Amino acid sequence: MSPPALSVREVSRFYGGRAAVADASLDLRAGRITCLLGPSGCGKSTLLRLMAGLEPIDAGEIAIDGKVVSTPTGIVPPEDRGIGLVFQDFALFPHLNVTDNIGFGLKAVSAESRRQQVAALLTRFQLEHLAGSWPHMLSGGEQQRVAIARALARAPAALLLDEPFSGLDGHLRSAVRQSVLADLRAAAAAVLIVTHDPEEAMLIADDLLLMAQGRILQAGSPEDCYLRPASIAAARLLGEASVLPARIEGGAAHTPFGIVPARGLPDGQASAMVRPEAVRIAENGASAMVCDVRFGGAFHLVTFLSEGTALTARTTGSPPPTGALVKVALDPARTVIYADALAGRQSHEPIRHFESESQA
Amino acid sequence: MAITAHLGAPRRRISVPAALAAFAGLAAMLPLAGVAAAALFGDTADIAARDVARYAATSAWLALLVGIVTAILGSLAAWLIVMCRFPGRNMFAWALALPLAAPAFALAYAYADMFDVAGPLRIWMRASLGFDLPFGMRGLGGAVFVLSCAFYPYVYLAMRAAFLNQSVNVLEAARTLGCSGWRAFGRVALPMARPALAAGVALAVMETLADYGAVQFLSVQTLTTGVVRAWSVYGSTVSAARFALPLLATAALLLWIERRGRKGSTHEAGNARWRALGLKTLSGVPAWLATGFCLLLLTAGLLLPVGWLLAHALDTRPDWPRLLRASTHSLGLGTAGAFVTVTLAAMLALGGRRLPMAARLASLGYATPGAVMAIGLLAPAGVIWNLMPGSGYGVAIALLIYAYAARLMAAALEPIDAGLTRVTPSMIHAARSLGRSEIGGALAVELPIVRGAMLTAGLIVFIDVLKELPATLILRPFNFDTLAVTANNYALDERLEQAGVPSVMIVLLVLPAVIWLTRKIALSRPGF
Repeated sequence: MSPPALSVREVSRFYGGRAAVADASLDLRAGRITCLLGPSGCGKSTLLRLMAGLEPIDAGEIAIDGKVVSTPTGIVPPEDRGIGLVFQDFALFPHLNVTDNIGFGLKAVSAESRRQQVAALLTRFQLEHLAGSWPHMLSGGEQQRVAIARALARAPAALLLDEPFSGLDGHLRSAVRQSVLADLRAAAAAVLIVTHDPEEAMLIADDLLLMAQGRILQAGSPEDCYLRPASIAAARLLGEASVLPARIEGGAAHTPFGIVPARGLPDGQASAMVRPEAVRIAENGASAMVCDVRFGGAFHLVTFLSEGTALTARTTGSPPPTGALVKVALDPARTVIYADALAGRQSHEPIRHFESESQA
Repeated sequence: MAITAHLGAPRRRISVPAALAAFAGLAAMLPLAGVAAAALFGDTADIAARDVARYAATSAWLALLVGIVTAILGSLAAWLIVMCRFPGRNMFAWALALPLAAPAFALAYAYADMFDVAGPLRIWMRASLGFDLPFGMRGLGGAVFVLSCAFYPYVYLAMRAAFLNQSVNVLEAARTLGCSGWRAFGRVALPMARPALAAGVALAVMETLADYGAVQFLSVQTLTTGVVRAWSVYGSTVSAARFALPLLATAALLLWIERRGRKGSTHEAGNARWRALGLKTLSGVPAWLATGFCLLLLTAGLLLPVGWLLAHALDTRPDWPRLLRASTHSLGLGTAGAFVTVTLAAMLALGGRRLPMAARLASLGYATPGAVMAIGLLAPAGVIWNLMPGSGYGVAIALLIYAYAARLMAAALEPIDAGLTRVTPSMIHAARSLGRSEIGGALAVELPIVRGAMLTAGLIVFIDVLKELPATLILRPFNFDTLAVTANNYALDERLEQAGVPSVMIVLLVLPAVIWLTRKIALSRPGF
């Protein structure tokens, strides 16, 4: 396996005693898109700045192409790192036109090869017709393409994008996302995209990193993270999740809404994380009462009540009427059992599926 | 693989922009330290503390009265311009700031001559009207009048910006709660603009305390005239420094008031929602009163005194070779001063994000009268002259430009700082990640973006250098006269007609720049 283009090893960063980033580790590999997902204020932008060399680190080590660039005692300045950065506001230089913005980083090369390189990027990002335009004349999507082209002009070892799609209008967003992803894949660089939108993260990512309160909770494929979250906190980052009280007996967890396999977990109290789409009407399920039905467009939100516990589910098709008594069951593939006895371990320790995934 | 020899130290790396800013900030502080050192550690002074106290009392009265008058005139004019529509309003919006083109001493010459007891006006009044004015221009009252005419634009500009930034909703709320337009002004708009009023008045008072030419000519003995006299008559740097010390303390106080006021007004602007104001259209007598008031300010501050000087200058046979030489010196100093000052201010601005202290040091220089600045530079000048005898001319010019720079750096910094708000932190980080060093990024991104602002800054410095008198008087090489110095010399000889020529020349030289600047300020916001 090739060495990672950028690797972060147990890096911490403190602001006045508070850890903005704690013990974070991750690898970025050429040709793969990694998404860093977390709520705002969780430290993901700080982690990005640490990788770019805009801030010193307080513990750990960062290496680019196997060469150490950040330690607590030393730092390679951002201009010498070969890391591309795309900012949330794109940060185009207002006094330079599109051509000069893209060529900004190409300092050492001759005028002729510089012109050719910029022309090639303009073509690749479909910006030829805007070559002489000024940044304020461009749409959000065009500004973004310029920002990415500008960062890629230096052929960086890794390209870091901070919330690249959050500044775009809703209806443009998915179209822009498609074309940007195609461009990024074509560039074959190691790419890290920071986002707080779980749906976006799962759609984009080859590898997903979940971050909360300065820590990386889980690293893995989007499916892994969604279906087998390392903790309830990790589960909540990726979408709605209800937590039900449960009890494990002989490898099966008993919940108010039915029994779910729990192989290998110790007997005793447990919590069941249930995705809203995991609840099904089933003939041989547990009894529950429908206490609320809401129309949500493509789905209905139905709240069931059983043994004094409420559970909200998304259903397609025609929903049962309010007040009806129905039988429900939980889809074991979308329900995860956490033994309370292991809770301390699960909430903090990241489970790394990452290495095996990327080898495949 | 952990070879870390190529890594720089993470935190204490010397930042080039910060070092440049520190250099510029210290440059502005050096003369002030010189004054304090001379005053505190100088051996003997030839002046009694009682004299200093007397001069200080006059300065305090002058500052207080000019502060009150400019506060009233400036606020009233600003309110009329922002809130009402009347004939000439759009022109007055910028023209009311034009008196900034006339040096205060020019106004003093004109008014002293106009209201001279033996002058044609007073003779005519006594003969035809049968009474005489109960006051003359030569005295505290005259000085208050002249300096108020010269410095009300500072209050006008500050208050105009504050009124424009006020939320219309608040004023409309006051109207729905039963306030008339004027009551809304008194009970809501004016109290809300109090920080801006303090800032504008502080600027007017700073200029009042710094003035030498006008008060000296009107025989008012202020601390600044004390500084210059102590140096020129007694040749005592220590005495001059003793006069300067209370000025320095006042400067620091005024600066604090001004900065605090500015902070308050920006906070207000942040909350305000801008909307076209519902202008009250004045007609009939109120419209004529409004137009008349604005015209009166413009006339008293610029048209009448400059016209008077011009009319008398036409009767004289000016010494053109001397005036031409003086203009060359003025223009040369103005250009060189602008260049050096803007360079230093740009260093301050670019490094300022890392070293805000440097900009604060420089702004103390702005509040310091030019005469004080010059006294602070005399000690180092003496050292250089002793070390390199015969270098007098060049060193004196260099020190003079240094004095201008130390005094005006903060004024030049302001537009550059405002221009830099267009540069977001992420642009700077983008430049870094695209391979530029800290200083390289500043030169490639920040400097080009503030180019226009640097031109504005240069013009501000140019205008002030051409009007500057006391520092030039003290530091200039022997026989090196500027237009201001020439005017002052003629005035000292009571040759007022002759003094008018260089004064009018100054106005004509700076007027295009002042018009350009005031129109830019006035048009920078929509809404009239």
